[in-house]
Amino acid sequence: MLTTVVGNYPKIPNRPRPARLRAAIARFERGEIGEDELRGVEDEVTIEVIEEQVEAGIDIVTDGQIRWEDDQTYFARRMDGFTIDGLIRYFDTNTYYRQPAVTGAVQWREPVTVEDYRFAAAHSSQPVKAPVTGPYTLAALSTSEHYSSFGELVLALARELRQEVLALERAGAPIIQVNEPAILKRKEDFPLLHQALGEMMEGVTAEAHLYTWFGDIEGLFPQVLELPFSAIGLDFVMGPANYEVLRRGRFTKKLGLGIIDARNTKLETVEQIVDRIQRVSDAVAPESLYVNPSCGLEYLPREVAQAKLARMAEGVRRAQEVLR
Amino acid sequence: MTKGLLTTTVGSFPKPDYLTRARNQFSLGKIGREELAALERQATAEVIRLQEEIGLDILVHGEMERGDMVAYFAELLTESMAISGLVRSYGNRYYRKPIIIGKLRWQGPMTVEMWRYAQGLTDKPVKGMLTGPYTMVDWSFDEYYDSRREAVLDMAGVIHQEAMELEKAGARYIQVDEPAASTRPEEMALVSQGLAVVTEGLKAKTISHVCYGDFAKVFDQIVDLPVDQLDIEAANSDYDLLELFRRHPFDKEVALGVVDVHDHRLETVEEVKEGIRRGLEVLPLERLYIDPDCGLKTRTWEEAAAKLRVMVQAVREVKGELGLES
Ligand SMILES: [Zn+2]
Repeated sequence: MLTTVVGNYPKIPNRPRPARLRAAIARFERGEIGEDELRGVEDEVTIEVIEEQVEAGIDIVTDGQIRWEDDQTYFARRMDGFTIDGLIRYFDTNTYYRQPAVTGAVQWREPVTVEDYRFAAAHSSQPVKAPVTGPYTLAALSTSEHYSSFGELVLALARELRQEVLALERAGAPIIQVNEPAILKRKEDFPLLHQALGEMMEGVTAEAHLYTWFGDIEGLFPQVLELPFSAIGLDFVMGPANYEVLRRGRFTKKLGLGIIDARNTKLETVEQIVDRIQRVSDAVAPESLYVNPSCGLEYLPREVAQAKLARMAEGVRRAQEVLR
Repeated sequence: MTKGLLTTTVGSFPKPDYLTRARNQFSLGKIGREELAALERQATAEVIRLQEEIGLDILVHGEMERGDMVAYFAELLTESMAISGLVRSYGNRYYRKPIIIGKLRWQGPMTVEMWRYAQGLTDKPVKGMLTGPYTMVDWSFDEYYDSRREAVLDMAGVIHQEAMELEKAGARYIQVDEPAASTRPEEMALVSQGLAVVTEGLKAKTISHVCYGDFAKVFDQIVDLPVDQLDIEAANSDYDLLELFRRHPFDKEVALGVVDVHDHRLETVEEVKEGIRRGLEVLPLERLYIDPDCGLKTRTWEEAAAKLRVMVQAVREVKGELGLES
């Protein structure tokens, strides 16, 4: 049973620690510092948040997605075929992103996240997972005028993002995590997701995980087990029905167990964590579990995020004793 | 005065630079509460003067004393709410999200003093402005309640008490905003239950501003919300929802947003008149109010004033064409 995170980590700490990245971005936007200097601060903050995750007891970390403005535009800005529009709400959160608009043929130009992965891996004592926004979700959260159907756009993005996955594989990423939260909002599109991810992951030999959040897979089980990933990440906080789903059959993949509420500051108790792990222990063997928060941690203040991770690691240690 | 096509605004006005500076200095501990409050009153007086000069019918106080519509109340509910560390909302923007830490209860008037001050400056009615219980809870962390429903209903009790105080002070219009309402269609029933608690027994006209959402999905529940008037954005969605009004008639008043507050571009009088005429095709003029899409706080003072002038001019011309006195 390993501990991990879903992806992003709060970019700035609270007083008395300085909000260096926020200040650096503001100075960059005013033209007071150049790209190199901003990059330097991003590097330092990335190292800092990797250390915070390790310190909290996380086995498989991410770079905290410190350089990402959001999951969509980090790719859309670096691929051909997109322009970036105005702010729009991200699912039902009180967080906004600039909506990508597909105005031409989408095309992968160059690696988007490979340098980030390399940097993080070189500065982490723990394995680093590389997140990639999935083609279905990227399409669902964009507008499109160029493709004649939504399905065509999803398949085109899958072909292009495949280049990113292959580049991460070549760079040696031990785990590539594809994120597809949007499929939970339109489950009838599962056949499209299946086809797209099949094409995207064909021939990929690196370990690959698929993560979802903000809902449950009711209606998608057991089909999700056909997807070309060795682990599936589920949100058990906003998708409590996932507990019921798991009772219905053997979960033949590893499970990303999202049981720490990454959208509320209330700290879980060790007992609650052990209890939630035990609730799935009939369906999934402990050694097939990745225990993680319900989604990225950026909805929380930095200090609360780290405290939650530390508590999660403590709960996992206790669960390992209990389940032994 | 002819009843109908009354003009108003959604609530917030841009803060003058001197007030923004003073708020920063206050947060750094460089000036005191009293000094800041004096500048908030000065700015409020300017907001009232501007609205009178432009010729609006139903005024707002402009929310000069509020930073964030949820945090303002949370900071005053000291026994049951606290403020968290910084959370990112988008880009390089961060805010402090409130946290519910105890059983929600009303501790004393939160908005009455400023309302009374603003109303004292004008003969026109000034709306009492409250944040709705669903939005208060949805935009806060919750470390106390086990269910959202419990939290929203207790919060509704708090906001109801505040609404009663405003009414007692003489407010004839009380607006309870629920911008979070349309993000989760499955919880519209809870939004409605919360508002029912807030508006129960009030004689003042009650209004709710709802925005940022997919109206079509929640239309039936929105037109059933227990308030007298719905304040909705229309200009930035090309008046799509008027089509819904045409197909599903209802008897509430509507304040129709006819200028886009998220756009720097100044609308022409002609296009605003066109929006008003489209509103009149589906709503009788005594039930149709005219206002901007949303709060004006994201515009500059000059942009806000210019948009309101265009809006009032458009209403005058439409009234003239209908043979109504202004
Ligand atoms: Zn609004």
